[in-house]
Amino acid sequence: MIDMISLAPLGQADFWLGVGVVAGIYSIFTLGLQLNVGLTGIVNLGQAGFMAIGAYAMAILIVTYHWPPWLALPAATFVAMLAGVVVALPSVRLRGDYLAMTTLAAAEIVQNVAQNAIGLTGGNNGLLGFDAAWQTIQVWMLGVLSAVGLGNEDQIPLFLVVWLTFGIIMLILVALQHTPWGRVLRAIREDEDAAGALGKNAYAYKVQSMALAAGIGAIAGYLLALNVTLIYPGTYSADFTFIGFAILVLGGLGRFAGVALGSILLWFVLEATRFVDLPLAADQVAALRLLIVGLVLILVMVLRPQGIAGKREEMVLRG
Amino acid sequence: MADPIFVVRALVKSFGGLRAVDEASFDVSPASITALIGPNGAGKTTLFNLATGFIKPDRGSIEFDGESIFGRPPFAVARLGMMRTFQITKALTAMTVLENMMLAADDQPGERILGLVTHPFSWVPKERAVRERAMELLERFGLVALADAYAGILSGGQRKLLEFARLLMAKPRMVLLDEPLAGVNAVLGQQILAHMHALRSEQSLTFLFIEHDMEVVMNNADRVIVMALGRVIASGLPDEVRRDQAVIDAYLGAHGENVA
Amino acid sequence: MSSTASAEDAALSSVNHEVSLSTGSRALVIGAATIAVALLLVAVKGYQPAAQATVNGLVTGTFFALGAVGLALVYGVLRLVNFAHGDFLTFGAYIALACNTLLSLPIIIATVIATVTTALMAALLELLLWRPMRTRRAGHLQLLLTAIGLAYVIRNGIQLVAGADPRSLRVNVTSAVSFLGGLRLGTTELAVVLVGLVVLVLVAILLSASRLGREMRALADNLNLAEVAGVNTGRVIIATWLVAGGLAGLAGVLVGAAVGVLTPNFGFELLLGLFAATILGGIGNAYGALAGGLLLGLAEEWSTLFIDPSWKLAVGFVILILTLLIRPNGLLGRPGLK
Repeated sequence: MIDMISLAPLGQADFWLGVGVVAGIYSIFTLGLQLNVGLTGIVNLGQAGFMAIGAYAMAILIVTYHWPPWLALPAATFVAMLAGVVVALPSVRLRGDYLAMTTLAAAEIVQNVAQNAIGLTGGNNGLLGFDAAWQTIQVWMLGVLSAVGLGNEDQIPLFLVVWLTFGIIMLILVALQHTPWGRVLRAIREDEDAAGALGKNAYAYKVQSMALAAGIGAIAGYLLALNVTLIYPGTYSADFTFIGFAILVLGGLGRFAGVALGSILLWFVLEATRFVDLPLAADQVAALRLLIVGLVLILVMVLRPQGIAGKREEMVLRG
Repeated sequence: MADPIFVVRALVKSFGGLRAVDEASFDVSPASITALIGPNGAGKTTLFNLATGFIKPDRGSIEFDGESIFGRPPFAVARLGMMRTFQITKALTAMTVLENMMLAADDQPGERILGLVTHPFSWVPKERAVRERAMELLERFGLVALADAYAGILSGGQRKLLEFARLLMAKPRMVLLDEPLAGVNAVLGQQILAHMHALRSEQSLTFLFIEHDMEVVMNNADRVIVMALGRVIASGLPDEVRRDQAVIDAYLGAHGENVA
Repeated sequence: MSSTASAEDAALSSVNHEVSLSTGSRALVIGAATIAVALLLVAVKGYQPAAQATVNGLVTGTFFALGAVGLALVYGVLRLVNFAHGDFLTFGAYIALACNTLLSLPIIIATVIATVTTALMAALLELLLWRPMRTRRAGHLQLLLTAIGLAYVIRNGIQLVAGADPRSLRVNVTSAVSFLGGLRLGTTELAVVLVGLVVLVLVAILLSASRLGREMRALADNLNLAEVAGVNTGRVIIATWLVAGGLAGLAGVLVGAAVGVLTPNFGFELLLGLFAATILGGIGNAYGALAGGLLLGLAEEWSTLFIDPSWKLAVGFVILILTLLIRPNGLLGRPGLK
């Protein structure tokens, strides 16, 4: 058994930086889920679809229409948020299970369109070349980092950008959580009728929540695109959303900071599968990792529904 | 008599084949305390739900302060000034008592996402003002010691008080109380009634409350509306209604019937 | 003994009588409308393409119906939307695959084993997972995420063992029958339809005429009332999972036989379509799910007359969304049923 475990990668900085980048991107993605599920009580199973819309909008604007990135990014984020509004308008009226199904179906449609609307999205070949500006920035950053002795690993710039972005979004969300607006969301999460009886238009708040989450998903999408340097439909699958949910429940509902904890922990476990030299083909290893994701979902829900950092008293999972 | 503040005419609501509210009509005068009574299944809570927008009526008319509220959603009715409590209290258990109260403020621009951005400096001082008002109301209702406790730990009676105090934060003009004394001890019950009378005197608040205890009704209500099987069968002064033959029949009938 | 039985029956029937009244006439209207649409398509697109699409739609509809009925039964009795149901189909298909290809058992025996094994798995999950969670008063979100986690475990457990490469059952894919002027139906597809329809009829009989069926419908109508009427709810719930699991396993095998190729994801890909079928028919209504499944199969195949077949799955998604938005109680659902 011992010789099946290869410890060499443990010391490799670029491996762990890569894991850190992925964990960070998932953390940003899951911040959107926390806003929807943990703060507002709406089960958004379509977050990967919003991520896809943001990423594709960005790439299409830059590559096909030659927009400068500083204009394309906000525009694409706006498009994603608009998509969030469009999906939310009909679906947030529905009760929990139906809302979940509708958002999932919407995301599946987005993925379908990405695969089949070849003229627009490049189909399964995807889109390339949107990251020219990032390459320039990256080189500059590596130059700066070399001055402090950190210029040897070329994943450091993206790692820093990803986690800085996470930090900023997280702080904004925590601030929002403590505003009167956030208070209304928490009320809606527990009891929409009580909120309505107090004059709060729960419908409007839920639409706002989903639109914001869509924007956050889009930002995760840009960073993911920069990491992989290719935008193609397979990335933005329901699997992405469900891994996000595993991270969400692992870290704990209601705490935005908990999302980072959940993501780092889950990705540590998932990447640990690389160390064990199992006689498995690539598709079987992929299956093993998703199996672990499923087990995490089940075990957390059965054994400790509030997750690691969630508060027991705030655990009013509606229904 | 001043113009009635709440007017219901020929209101109808059916569920499947059953008429829960059957051509109900009545008025409520401003600054009055009116009791809504009737045997079980008479449609009283359904009427509350119809009035406050939780259920959509089939037909008829409902007017609050001269404006039609037929088919309006609950939040809109509440914003117009008619608010309600629930038979099973809806204290928000995942929030503290103080947060429950502050939530109910109706004039906090920081509750709107655009308001956060456009009025960044007015909503923070507003929070302080809201908190002060909340503490005053909690003080008045005897709950101030529990301000920072999660509402989930409150007893049933305390939750009733909280629900009452909470909706006052939104400065309603008419309050619908669904069985405010149910499951509450006599002392607390008297407190709730005292609050009703005080608020009516001080702020000209109008109260419509569902109640089963006849003594409470006789001692506290200006007028009584009686429902049975979805219809309004009598309305008037407590003494008049008590002696009304239709009312007596309705109650005797309900008690005499064998529940199938 | 007999007097208590008849008292229970009376209570059950008083809970049940509403079910068949107005839905019967609505079903006839929907059936007539479907035939009308089929004829319209023949007129617009020509006999051969439209009729062939209709035939294909009935094949697809058969396994959609089998899957959807299981979903509806579980929802009706437990109010649980089983997000793992699609993967029950995959499970059944792969068990049959193992029996058929690894153990070289004839396809019929493999199908029976697959059906029984999936049924048992579903019942086992009830005992190990769902029942304890219900006892601990798990909320909706908890159950939803647990079902999703279960779906991942089943699907990826299968992929872990069998790999992601497409596989096929050892069935006859070449021989076909020709009928009604140029329409083609593979003999395997014909077998799928026949088996599926026979099983669906048997399930319908089970639901309407057997004691278990009446108990299941009583639980679906009103759990508390059924308990008061003396129904052993625990036993009925297990039976529901057995039937739902068995139907799902069988459906999975039939998909493998009809489509010809199996991958570990196929069940999940069908899940939203199964939801669409169940909701279209009125969630919790097993007869409705049957109709919904057939309708969905027809809709998917008819859509290929107008749009590129790669969008076929999207048809299911769109129908799901439209149904939820326009008529969440479905075509055959009872009004006021939440």
